[in-house]
Amino acid sequence: MSATTVPTERPSVLELARDDGPIAAAIGAAAGGAWRVPAIAPLLAACLPAVIAIVATGDAAPRGVVVGAIAWAVLVGGLASARPLTDPLRWAVPPTLRAIEYGGLLWIAAVAGSSSLPAAFALLCALAYHHYDVVYGLRHRGVALPSRVRVAGGGWDGRLLVACVLLLAGALPAGFFVMAAAIALLFVGETIVEWRRIGRAQPPVYDDEEDEAE
Amino acid sequence: MISAVTETEAGPGARPREGSLPVDAGSTAVLVATAAADGGVPAAAQPWESGSLVGRLVDQLSGLGVERIHVLTRPAWKAAIEAAVGGPVEVHTSERAADDLRAIGRLAATADGALVVAYADVITQREALAGLLADARVATAILSTGGTIARPFAFRMRARRGRIVSAASPYHAVHHPTDTFLGVLKVAAADRSEVVAVAERLAGLVDPGPPPDWEQELADKTRELPPGDAAELERRRASAADDVTALLLVGLVRAGAHVSTARLRTMFWARPLSAAALADAATQIEAHDEDKARLDAAVKGSDGFFTTFFVSPYSKYIARWAARRGLTPNQVTSISLVVGVLAAAAFAGGERPGLVAGAILLQLAFTLDCVDGQLARYTRTFSNLGAWLDSIFDRGKEYLVYAGLAIGASRAGDPVWLLAGAMLALQTTRHMIDFTFPAAREEMIGVAPQPPIEASSDRPARAPRAAQPARSPSARRRLASLWLAGDRYPKVVWVKKVIAFPIGERFAAISLTAALFSPRTVFVVLLAWGAFAAVYVSIGRTLRSLTA
Repeated sequence: MSATTVPTERPSVLELARDDGPIAAAIGAAAGGAWRVPAIAPLLAACLPAVIAIVATGDAAPRGVVVGAIAWAVLVGGLASARPLTDPLRWAVPPTLRAIEYGGLLWIAAVAGSSSLPAAFALLCALAYHHYDVVYGLRHRGVALPSRVRVAGGGWDGRLLVACVLLLAGALPAGFFVMAAAIALLFVGETIVEWRRIGRAQPPVYDDEEDEAE
Repeated sequence: MISAVTETEAGPGARPREGSLPVDAGSTAVLVATAAADGGVPAAAQPWESGSLVGRLVDQLSGLGVERIHVLTRPAWKAAIEAAVGGPVEVHTSERAADDLRAIGRLAATADGALVVAYADVITQREALAGLLADARVATAILSTGGTIARPFAFRMRARRGRIVSAASPYHAVHHPTDTFLGVLKVAAADRSEVVAVAERLAGLVDPGPPPDWEQELADKTRELPPGDAAELERRRASAADDVTALLLVGLVRAGAHVSTARLRTMFWARPLSAAALADAATQIEAHDEDKARLDAAVKGSDGFFTTFFVSPYSKYIARWAARRGLTPNQVTSISLVVGVLAAAAFAGGERPGLVAGAILLQLAFTLDCVDGQLARYTRTFSNLGAWLDSIFDRGKEYLVYAGLAIGASRAGDPVWLLAGAMLALQTTRHMIDFTFPAAREEMIGVAPQPPIEASSDRPARAPRAAQPARSPSARRRLASLWLAGDRYPKVVWVKKVIAFPIGERFAAISLTAALFSPRTVFVVLLAWGAFAAVYVSIGRTLRSLTA
């Protein structure tokens, strides 16, 4: 065992927890530096139409409205991906992205019919595993998720768009079960590979404290 | 001696196991024996039990795996110190603080592993030192207390999120202090080269004498002392000018090193500089139960209300029992997962007996959740995989229980999948805030510029601010201070913790509503309380962010 443990520069948990996919990244890159606002601003604008539609129509929303509101969320939310997380409210960005993605998927399932809701729950479980592991993996393995695995996961933007396609194609609930299985396979598989690679010999990098709110 | 007794008493729990690392191999300690007790004798050589103060400390450090121990003292005291230490200890002499610093720099340059720099005349308990030296999670750190034990003349510091952002020395002041330095500094191997540079720099600054504003700071410190035992205070003041340990700490902090705090908690600490203080310490140390303190220290300080008052008071004894049985934290984590799965399965039955059984099993699973962490801290058995499994299983159990409740509700003819999904989404989002907000704060602590070591004060230079006209505080600043005003009162802090709906409260709410009412009620209560918590916590954190 080496006596010295040189701390390596660790990637920012804030950046990793965004989970932006290739589509959001492309939108952000296309918009370039045109938007000099904190990243949270486009995200709030992104979820506004969906929130209004959910409050107004709930699970009775026409499919066109659902797809339109989700597409807007991806488009405007994608703009945030180009904004660096340096402003005082940067911590609110990843949670807002989680709320948009999980809320959007639940709404899609509710509109597709109540039989799709258990499938949406399964999908959310798989996604929650992924999103917790982004944080816990960084804490306890000390490494970030490889970018090829992140791209394969599609990002919050890609998954929302796939869900819209599944809704329009009438492929729910089966489509969500398949998505849940694929995502679980991808990320649980990746975790197992990583732990086997790392082993357990290295000194702990983080206390097991649960950072509950103060 | 004391250390040996503790090891046998702790029994099988103290066996080094997977993940339980002693101090880095090849660690070195430098004990600074330059403070005088009454009568002009070295304080470190004062008698303690059958040996001396420094002898006790040497035994404790050796018992914790420190391989090489050096003692720095004055030439006139060499014989007394050599007689006091015994054992394979190197005694070095120098005339003044600058040479002490140079000697420490030389030893740091040639050491392997970690470097411990400590007052040679400190009496504390093995477990207090073990919390600093034998905890694999603690890198560069100091022994500290939030209490008043070392006052009036000990150096204070300000810590944020367990990291020291400013420290005091004889020549350095700290504003808004939170903790007190207890004279033991551990520098991790990775930071040791920093000690070499800092010691050299400090030696240059105090040679031939400290700069005038440093002298002024020491004079100010002495003037502020409250009336008390004048002779004792005078001894402390006299030793302060030679306090190179505190100087090194300030040097490291000012150089931007990440120095964290290991708390004394309820353990004993004293730095007696007279026969009377020594006699005092000898009687007081008896009243400090080391194993109890170690067990109390195994309970996480940041837990919620329900966990702190309804679970930890008994779960820590389960943890100690498990330690004596030789159970590992990972085994307890696994048992907890199995019990959690059983709870979810019972909830999935949908009938009243199943709901009641699930409620009880969930509480059992939660108790075991607390036990595994407490067992890990009690036995200092930490592993990355174990900590990761613990975190993932905790989340997994909760969401499995949601699923179980939703299945049970469907069986009973009242499907709640949407509510279950909404609660999962809400809780995951809330956890995400709990990850990202501290991470953002941490980044800010890391980049905050440190004043140069030459500056006595830790306040930023006033020049830029003087250019601005005096303004009344902004509305959001006033709102933020109003929001945080209650934090001075412990009761208010507990109420805030309950509002934030931490895991103990959530699990208690699930058990209670599931056993008495229906899964739908469970989710309505969870969503209402959780949403209120999310809004409340977000407002508070937004205000803190905008006024930081």
